Amino acid sequence: MAARGCYGATPMNAGPLLPLPLVERLLAAAMERGAEFAEVYVERNETTAVTLDEHKVKSAQAGLSQGVGVRVIAGAKVGYAYSDDLDDEALFRAARTAAFIAHGKGHEQAFAVSRTPLPTFYRVPEHLAAVAVEAKRDLLVRANKAAHAFDARVKQVMASYADSTKRILVANTRGHLAEDTQDLCRINVMAVAEGKKGERRTGSFGGGGRVPFSHFDTFTPEAVANEAARQACATLGAQDAVAGEQTVVLAPGWSGILLHEAVGHGLEADFIRKGTSLFAGKLGEKVASELVTVIDDGTMANARGSLNVDDEGTPTQFKVLIERGVLKGYMYDSLNAKLMGKASTGSGRRESFKHTPLPRMTNTYLAPGEDSHDDIVKSVASGVYCANFGGGQVDITNGNFVFEVSEAYEIKKGRLGRPLKGVTLIGVGPEALKNVSRVGNDPLPDPGMGTCGKDGQGVPVGVGLPTVRIDKMTVGGTRVAGGRR
Amino acid sequence: MSTGYERLAKKLVARATKLGAKQAEAFVQVGREASCRVRDGEIEHLSQSTSKGVGLRVYVKNRLGFAWTSDFEPSSLDAFVTRALQLAEAAAPNPLNGLPGEHELGAFPDVGALYDAEVASLSPDWKITAALEMEKAARAFDPKVKTVESVEAGESVGEVFLASSAGVSGYSQGTSVYLYTGAVAEAAGQLQNSWWYDARRFLADLESPEAVATEAARRAVRMLGAKKVKSQRVPVVFDPMMAASFIGGIAGAVNGDAVYKKASFLAGKLGQRIAPPSVTVVDDGLLPRGLATSPFDGEGVPTRRSPLVEQGVLKTFLYDAFTARKAKARSTGNASRGYRSLPGIGTHNLYLEPGTVTPEALVKGVSHGFYVTSMLGHGANLVTGDYSRGANGLWIENGELTRPVQEVTVAGNLLEMLSRIDGIGADLTFRGSVGAPTIRFSELTVSGE
Repeated sequence: MAARGCYGATPMNAGPLLPLPLVERLLAAAMERGAEFAEVYVERNETTAVTLDEHKVKSAQAGLSQGVGVRVIAGAKVGYAYSDDLDDEALFRAARTAAFIAHGKGHEQAFAVSRTPLPTFYRVPEHLAAVAVEAKRDLLVRANKAAHAFDARVKQVMASYADSTKRILVANTRGHLAEDTQDLCRINVMAVAEGKKGERRTGSFGGGGRVPFSHFDTFTPEAVANEAARQACATLGAQDAVAGEQTVVLAPGWSGILLHEAVGHGLEADFIRKGTSLFAGKLGEKVASELVTVIDDGTMANARGSLNVDDEGTPTQFKVLIERGVLKGYMYDSLNAKLMGKASTGSGRRESFKHTPLPRMTNTYLAPGEDSHDDIVKSVASGVYCANFGGGQVDITNGNFVFEVSEAYEIKKGRLGRPLKGVTLIGVGPEALKNVSRVGNDPLPDPGMGTCGKDGQGVPVGVGLPTVRIDKMTVGGTRVAGGRR
Repeated sequence: MSTGYERLAKKLVARATKLGAKQAEAFVQVGREASCRVRDGEIEHLSQSTSKGVGLRVYVKNRLGFAWTSDFEPSSLDAFVTRALQLAEAAAPNPLNGLPGEHELGAFPDVGALYDAEVASLSPDWKITAALEMEKAARAFDPKVKTVESVEAGESVGEVFLASSAGVSGYSQGTSVYLYTGAVAEAAGQLQNSWWYDARRFLADLESPEAVATEAARRAVRMLGAKKVKSQRVPVVFDPMMAASFIGGIAGAVNGDAVYKKASFLAGKLGQRIAPPSVTVVDDGLLPRGLATSPFDGEGVPTRRSPLVEQGVLKTFLYDAFTARKAKARSTGNASRGYRSLPGIGTHNLYLEPGTVTPEALVKGVSHGFYVTSMLGHGANLVTGDYSRGANGLWIENGELTRPVQEVTVAGNLLEMLSRIDGIGADLTFRGSVGAPTIRFSELTVSGE
């Protein structure tokens, strides 16, 4: 019995998620108290997950969530209600609850919506929800084998696969209707290596995107497993990092998470409008080194952060946020755009129908420079090479950011040296940007493994970076220079 | 309504066993939530919603399948049960798989009331008024409070129904209510923000809107002018919120699964002294009116009070049924889950027992040191115990809190940090389901310039 296909009453791609006349009547109900704007967001999300642990496929899982969120806007006031019951009574109750935000009398009004044609930045002919779960499981079995075969010091391997096929429908009282199907998948492998005296180090790697399942024919589970195992083994015997200000070199690719945290969040329009970002009011000003050009691009083919349309029905864009060090623009959702007299940049995203949209990043990367990777490393007399990052966090108000570097090496006289452990980078966004002294000619998108959290909402994002040198970065560690531990 | 969901859970279990599952368990969650945010004296966001969902765990020939859905249409539910069984076919057989055993199940403890009718019937006006009061109080605290980023009040009501072929039939109902303020202060071109919140099951236990807002504003304003300090090793004091997050990190290391895989720095240390005798850490599923109190865990095992560290000695690791079977232990009633996930190991109400000294006395005893009030980053590697987080706070000089400090990290190793606890305050406070008093470490590395 092959566990293929979808369950539930509605097969995939069978017409609109809700009948359009019902959507129109819901919009009318949401406007009953005389608001300026109403929006209906319908979502149906099918997910699959498989996990492997201790050499065994531990479980295969599938989930279905569906629901409708109704948003009503009156001035700067937002009313929101959602329901995961799709019967008419529950839906109209949600619409009228959201409508409560407006105080006008309102009048009977009909709203007609029509479809907007959308671009296609991802084509997944066979939806991931329809791929047999056995094929997904087999990826993990192969990854487990490869990671253990990589090195005898690899003692434990955990692997997971997750995908979702999400259909959305957004309609609003401006007559706009957008529908999209968004497939997304990711494989992840974590390896634990054991060295002398029971020392244990972990390595983690993964990736995917808005891609067909055949992506894993070339982005193989073996390659993913080998990289996770390599990281775990490479960091065995790592020394404590020296704490204090140092020159750091960021490896290309996933290191872009630093840009996402240190700069990206501070350019989201809600923080700008409320004046809580330290980038507020700085349009046209120099906020970074001339070597720094930052782009947020929701249109990259098959990338994890790409969207044909955002969760408000606005097409996504290629946006230059910082150009040669000068702040050029912010990322807007429709509400903040309206309140600030701007246009949405297609940045309104939400985790699910249970949430209201917020301005968010899509794929955020640093444009390439001119130096080669090797020249950048050679230029550093003494410093830290950051090969891989764990996670990071930013305080957008004071600009403080923090990153855990999961794989780091010392740089001595322009050459990579011993592995370092416990390295944390900490800084203030704009200061770090001003201290960018070299940018490589080797741009690299991350393999598709990032999820960004804001106000409790997680959304998939992409990041990217060429090799970058940053001077005077604070490195956290347990060893104080010149002193004893 | 309630009995309808109970019947649904039992029906799904019966159907799964009829279709060939050796064991089955249905976990139904039903809830509603409402919240209000205000800005500049006006409502900014008002939301009200209901939700429901069911997760079905089945074992077929020792293989585990799991499916969840929020679609309760009878026709969809039939396909849903079939799907769970199909998924089991794709997993590997494991003789250790299965629901909790008879020796782990039993009568549920009396945990007292978890449901407050007052919270369940809170009007939108109460939330609007509370949020407006918070905004006003934050602004009134100091003219340097430039903007009140977000003030929010809200409540939720939740019910859980659990039925399994192991004979469990559980029902629990609870409420929670919260207040939140985020404030931004400005001086000399520097912005600093801070937040404060309180969340309780009962309205009577909740801090006042004014108290929450004032604390958020106070924490933001006192950070104005923050600078780095030089890298050095000094005594470090964590305020109760930071101490709670430190204790939360330790709790991750007593996770029985991590311990079994030797992926915890506490593996092999059961019964050993890991901290001074002043340190007692408890996970309590029975704490009266606790936010994480419940009569049974995510797979129907009765909850209990488990001392994790007692007078400095490591006493217990935490288990769900599967991990307990692997480790030849017993479930400690710590299976934690929502309907969308399989049970995993988690804590209930976790806290560090208070000492006898005032927090002021802990600071008084430090000539040069760092009082930490907020942190960035995840920080702790539970495999190695290495700990490094971005930290903000106030510098201590001659026993007094002086200038604000930011852009530094505090680092150490969790095991070393535990052994370096040389003072515990009497000021145990819960923020959410984790609580701790002020704690002092004799020496940690602060990295700055």
